[in-house]
Amino acid sequence: MKVIVSRSGGMAGIRLTWEVRVEEQPDPNTWATFLNSLPWDDVTDSEAGPDRFAYRIRCAPHEVVLAEPQVNGPWRDLVNRVKAANGM
Amino acid sequence: MDTPQNTAPQNRVPQTGQVLHRHCSIVPPYLLVRLAKLDDPRFAQAAAAARHSLLRDSHIRELRGGAHPLPQERIQPARTPGESDRTISDAGGQERLPGRQVRTERQPAGPDPAANEAFDSLGATQSLFWTEFGRDSIDGLGLPMNATVHYGQNYDNAFWDGERMVFGDGDGEVFNRFTISPSVIGHELTHGVTQFTANLEYRDQSGALNESISDVFGALVEQYAADQSTSEASWLIGEGLFTDQVEGVALRSMKAPGTAYNDDVLGKDPQPDTMAGYIETEDDNGGVHLNSGIPNRAFYLVAEALGGNAWETPGQIWYDTLTGTGLTRRSDFAAFAAATAETAARLYGTGGAAHDAVVTAWATVGVVVGVRSELPATEFASPTASGGSAAPLPPE
Repeated sequence: MKVIVSRSGGMAGIRLTWEVRVEEQPDPNTWATFLNSLPWDDVTDSEAGPDRFAYRIRCAPHEVVLAEPQVNGPWRDLVNRVKAANGM
Repeated sequence: MDTPQNTAPQNRVPQTGQVLHRHCSIVPPYLLVRLAKLDDPRFAQAAAAARHSLLRDSHIRELRGGAHPLPQERIQPARTPGESDRTISDAGGQERLPGRQVRTERQPAGPDPAANEAFDSLGATQSLFWTEFGRDSIDGLGLPMNATVHYGQNYDNAFWDGERMVFGDGDGEVFNRFTISPSVIGHELTHGVTQFTANLEYRDQSGALNESISDVFGALVEQYAADQSTSEASWLIGEGLFTDQVEGVALRSMKAPGTAYNDDVLGKDPQPDTMAGYIETEDDNGGVHLNSGIPNRAFYLVAEALGGNAWETPGQIWYDTLTGTGLTRRSDFAAFAAATAETAARLYGTGGAAHDAVVTAWATVGVVVGVRSELPATEFASPTASGGSAAPLPPE
């Protein structure tokens, strides 16, 4: 099981991608529980504002695209966790 | 088309199992691998940058989809049309808008370069739009120009939020502060102008046109302020925005899309310069910051063909097209090309030098005026960097 966070857009238009393989994490069960708790099916389309970042989050079978203003609550937590797991 | 392998830095994937440096910035993970190899203390601060620069607080309102905002009701003293009305606020490193007000129209410059740069470039933008095109501010009705500087921590971005321009300080390693470039400020303000006029949908080709229009008038703001002719101008967007640690001159080149940077760390500028290189991607709202290179170059080619000052005939054609009735929210490149050709013919005569220059420019970049272009089927490759997963690191 892996989760991939990809950020695109921004004024510069440069893409960043972070990936976590859950089974390789020191706390895979915590990860799995957290990933399963995310509101994958509650994401609505949102029109992006000019030059805002766009996030694509993939964790099979789920895939969501979030505009930067939507990255709040558990989604912001997820992005921060994935980045932290990548040493950032 | 150019193969993504040749043009897109995203394709430069690190080898699995490499340990990512504990850095975080605008630099993609695969590039951090290179940084790690450099073991260069100059990049030491990249670590925490992007986490804080990425996200914004929930209370910033989303754009009102589809609708033109209603002009704000304002009670204010009588104002001379064309006078700028600027207010600069300072977010103080927070992600809350608008922040603390630090300069209004009649106040002198203060000690903060970012606030002064924002103030000055908003003035330069107002000057161009008012003097050359008779447009009074963003809405054409003298809307006050509001900007916030020092947004977020190491925030690697600038944006227009529907009501104000917002500028991050950059991370200091890849990006300097975003106010450093007048073309960036003109770019953001022009997003406001577009919102109040053609309101091009920020996705796919209409989104790339929205982006290109911001680049066009951002470049013109710089050229107008510096009194540079087409041949004298750099045609760069975001010149000076990269730190001197980056091998690159700017974010984008309108004259030669795809050549603005070519850096060991950032990779190569991925912008296409013709329809043959059009990038199909779901990211970046359909590649709006990538495919904008195509209409950007078309504008440059018109300016090159006509010579002189680009804000004159070329700028007038683009401005009248943006503010006229020939576009819809979903206009694509071909429709925009047709609208610019029609505008050029109407303003300067059918078959005249301007009209010919416009038609030739679009043909050169592979857009057939008024005919929907067949897009290459190639997907923009979307690899993921996997280096981080092999050596999980605890959260800081």
